[in-house]
Amino acid sequence: MAAKAEPISLRPQSGARVKPDSLWRMALRRYRRHRMAMLGFFMLIGIMLYVVVGSFIFTENYANFNDTTQRLRPPSAAHPFGTDSIGRDVLARTIYGGQISLIIGVLAMLVSITMGTLIGALAGYFGGLLDAVLMRITEAIVSIPLILILLLMAKVLGGRLADIELFGRTFSGSVIVIVTIVGITSWTTLARIVRASFLSLKEMEFVTAARALGVPNWRIIAGHILPNTIAPIMVAATLGVAGAILQEAYISFFGLGVQAPTASWGNMLNGANQYLQSAPWLWFYPGLLLVFTVMSINFVGDGLRDALDPRGDKKL
Amino acid sequence: MTKYIMRRLLQAIPLLLVISLILFWLLQQVSDPLATMGGRVPPRPEDRQRLARQLGLDQPIHMQYIYWLIGNDWTLVDRDGDGTPETPGERRGVLRGDFGESIMVRGKPALDVIMEKLPNTLLLMFTAEIVIIILSLAIGVYSALNQYSLLDNVFTAFSFITFSMPIFWLALMLLYIFSVNLRNMGSPIYFPSIGMYDVVAGPTLQQVAWHMVLPVMTIALISIAGYSRYIRSVMLEVLSSDYIRTARAKGISQNRVLYVHALKNASLPLVTLIGLDLPLLLGGAVVTERIFGWPGMGSTYITHLDRSDFPVLMAILMMISAAVVVFQLLTDIVYTWLDPRIRYS
Amino acid sequence: MFKRATWILLVLALAGLLVAPAAAQGGKIVTVIYDQEPDNLNTLYSNMFFMGITDELYLPGAWSYDKELNLVPELAVEIPSAENGGFNADGTVMTFQVRQDAFWSDGDQITAADFVFTYEMTMAPTNSPASRSPFDTNVVSVTAPDEFTVVTTFNAPYAPWAANLWGFVLPEHVLRPVFEAEGTIDNAEWNTNPTVSGGPFILTQWEAGQFMLFSRNDSYFGGAPLLDNVLIRFAGDSAALTASLANGEADMATFIPLSDAQMLEASGNLTLELVPSGYNESWYFNQRPGLGNPALQDVRVRRALIMAFDRDQVNLDLNAGLLTTPGSFWENTPFANPDIDALPYDPDMARQLLTEAGWIDDDGDEANVANDPTFIPTPRVAQGIEGIADGSNLSLRYATTQRQIRIDTQAVAQQALARVGVIVELFNYPGDVYFGTVAEGGILSTGQYDIAQLSINPAFPDPDTTRFICSEIPTDTEDGANDAGVCTPELDALFTQQAQTVDTAARIAIFHQIDAILHDLAIWNGIWTDPDVWVYNNRVLGLELTGPNPFWNAHEWDVAQ
Repeated sequence: MAAKAEPISLRPQSGARVKPDSLWRMALRRYRRHRMAMLGFFMLIGIMLYVVVGSFIFTENYANFNDTTQRLRPPSAAHPFGTDSIGRDVLARTIYGGQISLIIGVLAMLVSITMGTLIGALAGYFGGLLDAVLMRITEAIVSIPLILILLLMAKVLGGRLADIELFGRTFSGSVIVIVTIVGITSWTTLARIVRASFLSLKEMEFVTAARALGVPNWRIIAGHILPNTIAPIMVAATLGVAGAILQEAYISFFGLGVQAPTASWGNMLNGANQYLQSAPWLWFYPGLLLVFTVMSINFVGDGLRDALDPRGDKKL
Repeated sequence: MTKYIMRRLLQAIPLLLVISLILFWLLQQVSDPLATMGGRVPPRPEDRQRLARQLGLDQPIHMQYIYWLIGNDWTLVDRDGDGTPETPGERRGVLRGDFGESIMVRGKPALDVIMEKLPNTLLLMFTAEIVIIILSLAIGVYSALNQYSLLDNVFTAFSFITFSMPIFWLALMLLYIFSVNLRNMGSPIYFPSIGMYDVVAGPTLQQVAWHMVLPVMTIALISIAGYSRYIRSVMLEVLSSDYIRTARAKGISQNRVLYVHALKNASLPLVTLIGLDLPLLLGGAVVTERIFGWPGMGSTYITHLDRSDFPVLMAILMMISAAVVVFQLLTDIVYTWLDPRIRYS
Repeated sequence: MFKRATWILLVLALAGLLVAPAAAQGGKIVTVIYDQEPDNLNTLYSNMFFMGITDELYLPGAWSYDKELNLVPELAVEIPSAENGGFNADGTVMTFQVRQDAFWSDGDQITAADFVFTYEMTMAPTNSPASRSPFDTNVVSVTAPDEFTVVTTFNAPYAPWAANLWGFVLPEHVLRPVFEAEGTIDNAEWNTNPTVSGGPFILTQWEAGQFMLFSRNDSYFGGAPLLDNVLIRFAGDSAALTASLANGEADMATFIPLSDAQMLEASGNLTLELVPSGYNESWYFNQRPGLGNPALQDVRVRRALIMAFDRDQVNLDLNAGLLTTPGSFWENTPFANPDIDALPYDPDMARQLLTEAGWIDDDGDEANVANDPTFIPTPRVAQGIEGIADGSNLSLRYATTQRQIRIDTQAVAQQALARVGVIVELFNYPGDVYFGTVAEGGILSTGQYDIAQLSINPAFPDPDTTRFICSEIPTDTEDGANDAGVCTPELDALFTQQAQTVDTAARIAIFHQIDAILHDLAIWNGIWTDPDVWVYNNRVLGLELTGPNPFWNAHEWDVAQ
């Protein structure tokens, strides 16, 4: 959804030196031709419909309603995905859990994109000591295996935030914790990309000209250089959502993720190995939806990369 | 070259210091290693206070970091709790190879705790890495040579699926299919679900290999996706490059072109990938080791995280970080060896 | 190039495995599987449950408890009592004889000097044992007037002596030289490799993260063991325990989730045994001023919260009908008051109590609850309660650890309380965060909860506990066991009195009084009895599993051929 709408809405903001219309239009055309990307796009629409339309069919109260006499029932007409260890409907929980997982994915992506862009821009534009310090920190974070540091931080921050009210719904404070820790650990790649483009762009004529005219630094950064690095940021943003959803699942698997009874695809998988044999429906459906979603976002991100930067580095 | 390596190594020192500061601070926030001491009842307050003093946990964080870094044998510590330090400290600090003692396994150096598990993790990792390299080379080359064939598309789809999978879910699926279901269907052949070998049968080659199948499969399936796609795209690029066309035109045999010229050039980016992945695999197998009960570094990390045993956690994290730094350097060196055009000065 | 190097490494690693000694060479073997690995093998240095049960294999004590929880002599010739002269007239001096035919596995005799040494090591300022209790608080001295007589002097009569004293003795001849050389036994090799044993078995191999192998000690003074080996394996989680029992890889395990245990027993080869451990899962309401919700100061609110929650149904479904709702902190012991039952499940009564306490259902929508099992009414509001603003909701923080059964129970209770108009927020913490100290911001110590769910036992099988006395309430700087902030002069007096009452009947009477107070004030609220859940293969014979020391008769274990 976001992936498709954004390129068009960004048009008026783009700098004057490039011909934005043709550039974005060309990208869109290339994206449409990309079969995998279009497939991913429609898969993503499907997932959106599932979690949005689903919530009109089942209320959140129903998703959290428990009846211990109905625990661990296999899939049936009443409960198409079966029931969990206290008799909640797994289908309804995958719908609300999906919302939480997607929200976490998008929010964490926003945190990481903001940090990555900011740090990359500052390091690249100002250089010198600031650059050295920021890049050492970046390297330091890259050098520690992500899963280890995520678990560590989840344990430090877990259970410290109260529930929050948003859009008339109550969210566990742990959602914010997960967003924060995933966000502040996953900005490093983008920071490096943005820094590299800033390094080359800041020497370009239009920047030196702006500087000579006395345009303040922040305006050069935000108004002149940044619009030209929008392509890698968009790609990183898309793939970042997929990464964040996966990371939430990892943290939840170790019991440090989103606080029950708020469902997320990740915490529905927590303790799944207990029911490996006796209740496979407990872990099969949320896992399948998770894989499906992450895969479709990856397709979209991949397509975006190809569309925005046709000669670029095609990893995967 | 030597000068370059020296410079890189010198650069690594401040980097590792920054890492250690961040981690040490974080680990101090985690929790209280004395909270439960693993028991079902929290220890008495008087015992906790005494232990905090005796283990040096009551010191301010900057002193704890200094003791961790350079040891405390240059100063006195208060062992008997009378308020005046009297006993010379015994820790030598990380800079002299002393990572401190585990709080959980009392009296055991943190390094020993890790070293007991390191070989198991290395065994799992190297086996997995070999499987990954061989299979992803095979798949990548095949796909590049037979672009858009049926099998290529199957591989593509497959790699996208595994690439998007949380590793624990894959592990659960494999366990469910190859351990639980095979056994339930009465199949005489099924894979063991946990451990490294059957204790009664002993750690024979056969036992270990048999127990390694599922964890290796889990790690490999996830990584092959990325690697094989990468090799495929690099191979495609190399195959369409001028010098390969020249080589073909000169009449060099197809196989020789493929396996000597193209593959050698394609392996360049592969070296980077492996070099960066290998040290991270040390810790990255946390999930796999945990699920399959493999007695390695990853499961050790989780066990000691549960008890906030920060000397051990710190040692694991620092070792991996150091390994990352070293492997990055090694990668660069291997690069020059594979591609003589690259020179560092 | 890369490949060759890795192949060489791999071959080397595998070769290393091949030369490692084979673990067990046949014979009669029982395999126990733990879901945690003991952190140490010197009882002085560990609080871990799995350590505490394992030490029965190689460390002898003065006495242990049998299946009926009677004291049976181990190293002591006779259990000390006032009748046999084991206690002096005022009950402050305890004397017992050590049997003269007991030897350590290396041939040294076990004597009274080992007992004195154990006391010295516990109290030595340079040693850092896990706990010095009760030597530091209740014992004045331990002496050995002759080679086989141990005299323990208390500062006041000490009723819980049997459960808290002389559960193990350390081998002086092994550890004294270490202490003299290093000034401490903190780093003694014996702590993790106790190759000198005084019990029926002796450690032969400990592969960290995998297993511990014990072999028979034929010189054990209690009689030669019937088994050749006891193998203790470690698994990461309870799912692995269940799997190993099911496929016969292990013979016995504890802490099995009850539904799994029931399923295992149904297979026919395995027996499920619930062994009382003194633990009972319960709710504690935080009554510390300024920390717990002020509404909890009202006993009517506390009672209402419990009565709104159907604990029997939880036990029937989530605990497979195997556990019951305990009425007493001392459930299943003589110290529980037999006239007291757990508060019944009665949501209507709960609503009435809340209304009386000033929490009212202002829109009357709770009338719908009876017709619709899924209906959640709007929360109740305060009206005319001192110190609470009118119109505010009753919202409580419900904190516990991350065990699955607790997470499940929380969700069930949340729904039950919502249906009487009470809002509950759920929190789960790792054990070390939950039980952390005041300084570390531990959840219980710093009172960051309104309802806490946990399982605590007294000094089982002794009833003593410090949970309910005023001086144990944690402060901003000091830790304490009474994190719920229970403080009444009556309870304080009764607890002081019981600890100094050595006469069992009189002590039981005092506890019945205490129990009645805890019940009337809704201070202690049982959710389920929490026995040790053991599952063992029927081929294992001679097990006499007990709560305090399940392996006490390991030398009598056998396997059916």
